[in-house]
Amino acid sequence: MTGSAPVDIERSVARLLTVGTYASIALLAAGVIAMVVAGRSPLDPAPRFDPARIPGDLAALRPEGFLWLGIVLVVATPSARVATSLVGYFRRGDRAMAVVSVLILAVIGLSVVAATWSGA
Amino acid sequence: MLAGGVAAGVFGSLLGLGGGILIVPLLTIGFGLPLREAVGVSLICVIVTSGAAAAVYLERRVANLRLGMTLELFTAIGALVGGLVAFLVSERVLAALFSAMLVYVAVSMIRGRDLEPDDDIAAGSMSSQPFGLTLDGPGYAVHGLGRGVVGSIGAGVVSALLGIGGGLIKVPVMHLLMGVPLRVATATSNLMIGVTASASAIIYLVRGGIDPFVAGPTAIGVFLGATLGSRTAHRIELRVLRLLFVAVLSWTAFEMIRRALTTA
Repeated sequence: MTGSAPVDIERSVARLLTVGTYASIALLAAGVIAMVVAGRSPLDPAPRFDPARIPGDLAALRPEGFLWLGIVLVVATPSARVATSLVGYFRRGDRAMAVVSVLILAVIGLSVVAATWSGA
Repeated sequence: MLAGGVAAGVFGSLLGLGGGILIVPLLTIGFGLPLREAVGVSLICVIVTSGAAAAVYLERRVANLRLGMTLELFTAIGALVGGLVAFLVSERVLAALFSAMLVYVAVSMIRGRDLEPDDDIAAGSMSSQPFGLTLDGPGYAVHGLGRGVVGSIGAGVVSALLGIGGGLIKVPVMHLLMGVPLRVATATSNLMIGVTASASAIIYLVRGGIDPFVAGPTAIGVFLGATLGSRTAHRIELRVLRLLFVAVLSWTAFEMIRRALTTA
């Protein structure tokens, strides 16, 4: 460790992972319950991912709304964990790990760009 | 689907595998899903596994956050590349190569008793790392960062192509090549899996490779299993953990060889 500031990054990251995981699981569970209520089978044809439709699906209590939001939260939680670490390392004055955190976020951002570009 | 997810979650959490190694065969063989959809769902499940288990390992100070983040920079790069070429590589060739790699890792783990790093660590010794990075943990020194970087890139590529967490590569690389105790390597791998899988899951999500109706029940099962696994891992002896790891590697190698031979 390069600093003596009492920034407990491990604990902050653990809390964020716990909250992110439980929130996404709650959304997925709500989606599964909605599937059961609507009589949808896991093997039924699924709608393609469209972020713009999520609010409408949620308002209509359609299962895909909860499921897609839960999946988005699952995918976003690791990035949020890295962002939390970045803040912690920055406050601790640990430049090397702060740079590592920024680079990880940059690679994840590149994935979004590459996915959008290649899927277009 | 839920019960299969529970079983995959327990194993994934205990062994740092992410559970994908069981989820993909479960969904393709058990439920007849196309391999690409199974991989997409599996990536979501391994992120859930990682989140549930890593939170517990971090609270207990078992996972090495600095080492995990340094290596996951390179697993994420590998996952980005792997996610982009996932649609270009022949599954048959990939399965055969993967099987050979699994056998190699299993043999390395069996023979790894002589390489047990815990014995030759001087108390308080610190290794030298580039760019001011200090990656050592309490009671052990981390070395061989270059080999770790190469292994991490490979783990990222394999994760993206096969929908696994990449722990199959990361745990042996950290344990055998970098001097990290097995329990720490397993916990750190669990932490890294989230970022590795999310880098490629984004690509699968945007390109329509994730089925929400399958991902929902499977991920909930994995979550329940991972929670159970992470809370019982510290009660299991290292020898048992190693034997479990080798057993899972061997079974997966057999499954991949069988798939390579039967795929038209």
